[in-house]
Amino acid sequence: MALSSRTLEPADRIYFMLAALIGGVLLVYFALVPFLGGNIAFHFYLMLWITMASAFNVAAGFAGYLPFGYVAFYGVGAFTTAILVKKAAVPIFLALPLAGVAGLVLALLFAPTLRLSGIYFGIVNLALAGVCRLTITNLPDWLTGGSFGLQLGSRAEPVHSFYVMMAVMVAALATILWLARSRLGKALRATRDDPDAADMMGVNVPRIRLYGWLISAAFPAICGGVEAWYTNVVDTETAFNTLTTAKTVIYAVAGGLGTVTGPVVGAVAMVWLDELIWRRFPLLNLLILGVATVALVLFLPRGIVGTLLRRKPQWRRYVP
Amino acid sequence: MGLLILNGLANGLIVGGIYALVGVSLTLLYGVLRVVNFAHGEFVIAGSFLAFALFSGLGVPPLLALPVAAIAFFAAGWALYYVLIPRLALSDDPELMSFLMFYGVSIAAAALMLLLFGADSRSIDDTFSPVSVPLGPIYVSTARLVALGITAVLSLALAWFLFRTLPGKALRAAIMNREAIQIMGVDIVRLSAFAFALATALAGVTGVLIALVFPAFNPFSGAEYTIIAFIVVVLGGLGNPMGALLAGVIYGLAEQMATVFLPQAMAQIVGFAILIGTIFFRPSGILGTRSRR
Repeated sequence: MALSSRTLEPADRIYFMLAALIGGVLLVYFALVPFLGGNIAFHFYLMLWITMASAFNVAAGFAGYLPFGYVAFYGVGAFTTAILVKKAAVPIFLALPLAGVAGLVLALLFAPTLRLSGIYFGIVNLALAGVCRLTITNLPDWLTGGSFGLQLGSRAEPVHSFYVMMAVMVAALATILWLARSRLGKALRATRDDPDAADMMGVNVPRIRLYGWLISAAFPAICGGVEAWYTNVVDTETAFNTLTTAKTVIYAVAGGLGTVTGPVVGAVAMVWLDELIWRRFPLLNLLILGVATVALVLFLPRGIVGTLLRRKPQWRRYVP
Repeated sequence: MGLLILNGLANGLIVGGIYALVGVSLTLLYGVLRVVNFAHGEFVIAGSFLAFALFSGLGVPPLLALPVAAIAFFAAGWALYYVLIPRLALSDDPELMSFLMFYGVSIAAAALMLLLFGADSRSIDDTFSPVSVPLGPIYVSTARLVALGITAVLSLALAWFLFRTLPGKALRAAIMNREAIQIMGVDIVRLSAFAFALATALAGVTGVLIALVFPAFNPFSGAEYTIIAFIVVVLGGLGNPMGALLAGVIYGLAEQMATVFLPQAMAQIVGFAILIGTIFFRPSGILGTRSRR
């Protein structure tokens, strides 16, 4: 049934009002950061992690896949942007969408793995990320800059990349907000919960999974590109750092997979905590991140928003 | 070229023995507990660091560090089991969540080793005399031969344990059917704790052997061994100990032969190709007959 042909139910109205409210607050807050002299670097990365965690949520929360090599999309996006800007003199505003396209192409190459499930998918995805890193490491140095990496050499204004990152975040959140209430989103969840039953109901399971996978792949690739533009340098060590996957997964799970607000809440809470720990105990940062992950799985496996919704199931209809 | 190939074969057997041990401990853990230990490589490297600390601190040679590592890691594994696993079993999808939890354990373990030992690569320069032994036309380092001998003895002992003793048979039974074995009156919690401790002890011992065989290790080498363990476990069939032993040797040979014929960086891709190929074309592994997917 098309959305326009029915009147909004009260529950839907509250849902969209809440979404608009949360989205509006986020938007105004981030838009004002450069004007009020806020910490641009901190907020840039906060938006980056919100985007990464939200896009990861499409694969993990909606489609039920745990891609443990998620950094592959990020790294390939970063290198696509850097090579296009540096070697082909493509303007950055064209290079970034092309990075997204590179992410989509990579996702299509990985598509055969979607018939795997559970840990098999996770392990294969991890291996594929390793293959991507090794492939780029083995490309000729004149193209990728070898172990020194590529300097983009663009005199990037941090504020420009900041607002571009914001646009990417807004696009990602809007996509997922739409997805959560769309036929595609419902079909994805049905496929996750019971592929056979979904198939019986007329859902084209492989195609639905592919759509979810593509959405989940495009945003990290663009994130990689924007970050490359922001820091002005790309190398294989940082672009394919396993910690990128780790943080994405941890932030998304901390908030709660399967909800729109979950990864946002998780990213905000954890990035803030990370920053706090980083400033107080720089040496212990990694250790605390690890212990926090373990504690999260053991004591809050559904995440902040997920736990809240379990306590108050009646809120499920209203909370995005 | 002939010499290079012979060298590759010898090294492949030695390295393969190590990989077999890394794989067999991980596959035991998965088979009995249905948890995916992403931190397995870190456990292994922790064994290497224990050997390093014993050697540089107290002058204990690596061979004497073996029993120390076995006992210390068995105890640590036993304790870790009761901290982590019972609570994990309460979550919606313990198998998938275990992957995530051990991701955290691996980060924490690597960070802990970084704090204790620093980021530098370490090695144990305890040399045997003679340093190397002629084996036909090639020379092989004595330390590596000793390590090969120990891996062979350990593998045989493990096989004997799994097939000839009651606890070993209980472990194999638990891999086959966790529910049925409880009906037979086995305390699954204690058996699982034992499996976790045994796997951790094996990982620690393997770490000591790695200090003998490989030139250097650092707190972040763990991730490498985790990947290798996954390759071996998948190639041997998830939860199949004998398959893992065989797969370890096969993978060791493949990797070492690849370094003979292919450039260094390409050789690393061989492992990933084996992993992905196995999952797609033979998901039950080389010895498996039924699919466990």
